[in-house]
Amino acid sequence: MNAVTDQLAPPILEVEDLRTHFFTRDGVVRAVNGVSFSLRPGETLGIVGESGCGKSVTALSILRLIPRDLGRVVGGSIRFEGRELTGLDEQEMRGLRGHRISMIFQEPMTSLNPVLTIGLQIAENVQRHLGLSKKAAWDRAVEMLSLVKIADPHRRVHEYPHQLSGGMRQRVMIAMALSCDPQILIADEPTTALDVTIQAQILDLMLELKEKLGTAIIMITHDLGVVAETCQQVIVMYAGRKVEEAPVEELFDRPMHPYTRGLMAAVPRLDGRLEGGVRPRLQEIPGIVPSLTAPLPGCPFEPRCAFSTEQCARHMPPLERRGAAHDAACFEVDRVLEKSLV
Amino acid sequence: MSAASIALEPAAGRASSGLWSEIRRNPTIFLGCAILLVLAACAILAPWIAADPLKHAPVNRLKAPSAEFWFGTDQFGRDIYSRIVYGARVSLIVGLSVAAISSVLGLTIGLLCGFYRWFDGIVMRIMDGIMAIPSILLAIALITLVHPSLTVVIIAIIIPEVPRIVRLVRSVVLSIREQPYIDGAVAGGTKAPRLLVRHVLPNAVAPLIVQATYVCASAIITEAGLSFLGAGVPPEIPSWGNIIAQGRVFFQLTPWVILIPGVFLALTVLAVNMLGDGLRDRLDPRLARRM
Repeated sequence: MNAVTDQLAPPILEVEDLRTHFFTRDGVVRAVNGVSFSLRPGETLGIVGESGCGKSVTALSILRLIPRDLGRVVGGSIRFEGRELTGLDEQEMRGLRGHRISMIFQEPMTSLNPVLTIGLQIAENVQRHLGLSKKAAWDRAVEMLSLVKIADPHRRVHEYPHQLSGGMRQRVMIAMALSCDPQILIADEPTTALDVTIQAQILDLMLELKEKLGTAIIMITHDLGVVAETCQQVIVMYAGRKVEEAPVEELFDRPMHPYTRGLMAAVPRLDGRLEGGVRPRLQEIPGIVPSLTAPLPGCPFEPRCAFSTEQCARHMPPLERRGAAHDAACFEVDRVLEKSLV
Repeated sequence: MSAASIALEPAAGRASSGLWSEIRRNPTIFLGCAILLVLAACAILAPWIAADPLKHAPVNRLKAPSAEFWFGTDQFGRDIYSRIVYGARVSLIVGLSVAAISSVLGLTIGLLCGFYRWFDGIVMRIMDGIMAIPSILLAIALITLVHPSLTVVIIAIIIPEVPRIVRLVRSVVLSIREQPYIDGAVAGGTKAPRLLVRHVLPNAVAPLIVQATYVCASAIITEAGLSFLGAGVPPEIPSWGNIIAQGRVFFQLTPWVILIPGVFLALTVLAVNMLGDGLRDRLDPRLARRM
């Protein structure tokens, strides 16, 4: 499975102790609070967690796309190909965005400018970053459209976004993001707005292109199914922190953090056991994500956790190595592991 | 490849005939355009289809409409038909130039206001200030400061119109800049000026064109109003406002001197507004529902 992942190659992206805070009237929101991870060339890294856990902010922080009047990266380091990104000026960042590091967003319906043809939107990107002529950029746009398997690219390239279906638009977004051969593609919930059959097509397409182009992918999602299908390494985030990290098989075999277990139990299953002809109630994680303005002294998941102890409420569990390449931030890992998965 | 080029041709053919079929299908646009085209033709062809609008002929004073003088004559014996034909020039020039210039100015300022917050803070206060003064009063004040001429009238009407366009464009920009595709363009490494021109500006064009037609109509009325008050184009230039102003004294005796230019004024403004309404329904359905 990890044929293209070179485990020995140095990581192309290293994020260390990233802290992104938003400054609101109600106080400082610690949206990302000390997250570290690294990404190797050609690897697919999944970042999972529920809404508001800081996954998207982590991605936006890498490209420095946090609106400056709202918040900023206050600490930590982001190294891309050994180069520190936090110190770069705005012009150098612009050179990276869409060129070396690309991003695709959740909403294919609104992520394309409705008044410009899709060809123009792709060509613009290529012209700017690769310095191609207008003609060459246009040819590149057609080439990218056929790469993402849009039929009849010569005609489609002249069309406007409203003439395309949701799945096609997401293909266009992918074409645009990959048009400059980026090293890293950040996909922020790329399939959430699509229906299930289209989701599978888009994921297959992304994986296929990854193999072909050798692009590393950061897959941000709340959908564990997407993670299982696409990723090699997985990070689980909760309340701005990384609570667990493991290779994908290991994570699904032996989830160590109660939150990861909760996420897994909350996935609806078609093969769920029938008890007296009634499907068991879908497991939910009780409670809501805690406030990020006034963090508790202990584990942020403690109020919602079935395994919590007094220690959990008082002290923050450190992220520790608990197995082969498996990190988790929980005091009660042993007890969690004893309980079998449903 | 060959299939693609074959498929391309009918599409291209449709696009070129699109404007004309659109005009024919939409009766308000069609009627508005037709009236304006006839008026514009009259204005352009004035020297060939009308007599000298300034020629005094005391013998023919205050004549009723007849075969010789279609719309009658005024108290100096001047042919009202000829004066109205030449007056169409003034009205159309004022309407078009005010609409064009204030659109360009309003668009530029509005784009910058919507995009740069510090600029917005300063400029919008100035715009609010201008909007607080009634536009006719502002125009009269400006015109009394300088020697009256057509250019001065145009400038005097543009100044109070600009803030309205700035507001419109600014509001469009403020909503467009929150759209995900703008974030997408930023994430693609687009610079701010290019973002503004390439991604934001095209979205503002449709509402701007619609607003420009309303500005055009209101400019024609304002010019007539200013001329009527004696603060508009100099009296020696035949404009509809001037004709009405000069015919006012003899209204009971020769009402056509006022009524006929009044009808033309109303017809012109109606045509421009019809064009504007038609364009609004066509270009910006959301705006149409909101209004």
